[in-house]
Amino acid sequence: MRRASALAFVVMVVAAPWLVAAAVPRQQRYVLHVLIFTVLFAALALSYDLVVGHVGSLSLAHPAFFGVGAYAAAILATRARWPFLADLLAAVLAAAVVAALVGVPLFRLTEHAFAVGTLGLALVASIVANNWVEVTRGPLCITGIPKPVLGLPGGPTLAVTTLPGYYWLALAALAAVVLLYRRLTTFRLGRAFHAVRDNEPLAGAAGIDPLKYRLLAFTIGAALAGGVGALYVHYLSVMCPEEMTVALTVNLLVIVFLGGVGSLRGVLVGAVLFTALPEVLRLAPTWRLVIYGGLLLLVVVRSPEGIESLLRRASGARAGR
Amino acid sequence: MALLEVRGLVKRFLGVTAVDQVDLAVEPGELVSLIGPNGSGKTTLFNCVTGYLAADHGRVLFRGRDLTHVAPHRVARLGVARTFQQVSVFPRLSALENLLVFLQQHQEEHTLARLIRTPRLRRLEVEAVERARRLLDLVGLTDKADAAAGSLSYGQRKLLAFAAALMPDPDLLLLDEPAAAVNPTMINQMKSHILALHRQGKTVLLVEHNMEVVMDISQRVVVLDHGQKIAEGSPDAIRRDARVIEAYFGR
Ligand SMILES: Nc1ncnc2c1ncn2[C@@H]1O[C@H](COP(=O)(O)OP(=O)(O)OP(=O)(O)O)[C@@H](O)[C@H]1O
Ligand SMILES: [Mg+2]
Repeated sequence: MRRASALAFVVMVVAAPWLVAAAVPRQQRYVLHVLIFTVLFAALALSYDLVVGHVGSLSLAHPAFFGVGAYAAAILATRARWPFLADLLAAVLAAAVVAALVGVPLFRLTEHAFAVGTLGLALVASIVANNWVEVTRGPLCITGIPKPVLGLPGGPTLAVTTLPGYYWLALAALAAVVLLYRRLTTFRLGRAFHAVRDNEPLAGAAGIDPLKYRLLAFTIGAALAGGVGALYVHYLSVMCPEEMTVALTVNLLVIVFLGGVGSLRGVLVGAVLFTALPEVLRLAPTWRLVIYGGLLLLVVVRSPEGIESLLRRASGARAGR
Repeated sequence: MALLEVRGLVKRFLGVTAVDQVDLAVEPGELVSLIGPNGSGKTTLFNCVTGYLAADHGRVLFRGRDLTHVAPHRVARLGVARTFQQVSVFPRLSALENLLVFLQQHQEEHTLARLIRTPRLRRLEVEAVERARRLLDLVGLTDKADAAAGSLSYGQRKLLAFAAALMPDPDLLLLDEPAAAVNPTMINQMKSHILALHRQGKTVLLVEHNMEVVMDISQRVVVLDHGQKIAEGSPDAIRRDARVIEAYFGR
């Protein structure tokens, strides 16, 4: 029964472009656009949750890693004419390398200093994006980033040019992130992450090197954020410094903490609600921010642990517990 | 060769000399107690031995190997287990998972192998779960296996932390007040658990304020006062030692 409904859900998500075409033919493009953003944000939020949710380090540097990936892909695709998969891989690696390098000194800081240090990193990255004009073109933005073409050199290729095509590409990326997220957060790795998060001195007594696991989560989280950055710029075809400001951190914090920190389902629900909702609310432009803010407050007050805990309580009640 | 040897250990905190020139040796298979009034430096000594604090002077040798600048997780993996005076568990992990965490790091494995979950690892995991369940049985927490450790009572958490320390089958066990602040039944339970370990040939260094427990089960007792070792000997000798009586009752 549960398997059946899960399968139905997956079919619906995959078939969304057709469902949208049938349901709202006139707004098809717009709705698909929102869906693509939602899927990309879900992947980004999961990558962020690896750090804040599973090793419990409040990093505010995620926009920097997203930006490093986005710029790496944008520059390689436009100036060096690298194929899509190659610049995607480069984006992932570039973000991972930056994270590993800054992670070592950052994790030597205490909890609060770590948050401030990562915020500093995000600000520096944003300043660099604005001012290193020779490379990033600064506020002029990098434009003309080609649509992704899948395939390896010499083999058959597939250009992703339509909105549904792009939606499925983003969905495939999200599926990969979900699989990796689950592998990382359960079994022995997950246990080690959670031990470090819940009680660092005791983790040491258990033979766990806290720094190693913090760095691992931080670096993988950054690598995935870099990959999402690459997908993002290939979709929008431009990359500007505004894409990697602190506002992005705020969005991620809202998604992760109000969705359900450390929970796959919570973060996914958070991504859907807090990416799609602001868009839907555009229909009431005057009241948009008021409704959005009110909703945030409601969640915070009613369920400080996020929507996930509401869902869990609801399903617990249904199961008669 | 002594299993654990502490030589001339000194640890100062802003003016307070918490551990002052302490020498201590524990032979393999011994059950030694470390006692002393509050603030005499017992926990600080544990912290210096297990890598949580860096000593200012002196050396700590485990099997002849210098532990002085070794990080806690490495000390643990060398076979030294410890419990904490402030009962310490992973509150959001289940009782069973609390035990599993304590074994997995001792089974050297590549992070990639963990990601892939190799057949070898799955087999080790099954064995680990079996061992964890046996230990939960031992301390009487069988039916709490799936409960979050944070939801257990104080005494139950204490037993869980004790079982966790046993998980990797350590060569040396440092217990910081295992019988403090629990009810008399549990004190007796702890006592018999520690004795059982001793009979199995484990080496135990015990910090404990409960004199009945200390005098009943220790082979040797070391007494600290103001960070200094003031006496060392059999329980009977310690009971009659003038300096010990002075340290405990003389002010
Ligand atoms: N982290 C620290 N910073 C400053 N002073 C400390 C620290 N840890 C311990 N001390 C001081 O060192 C001395 C020894 O403390 P310690 O905790 O080792 O004593 P103890 O013998 O374990 O006492 P108890 O029986 O109360 O547990 C005390 O004066 C204590 O205040
Ligand atoms: Mg103490």
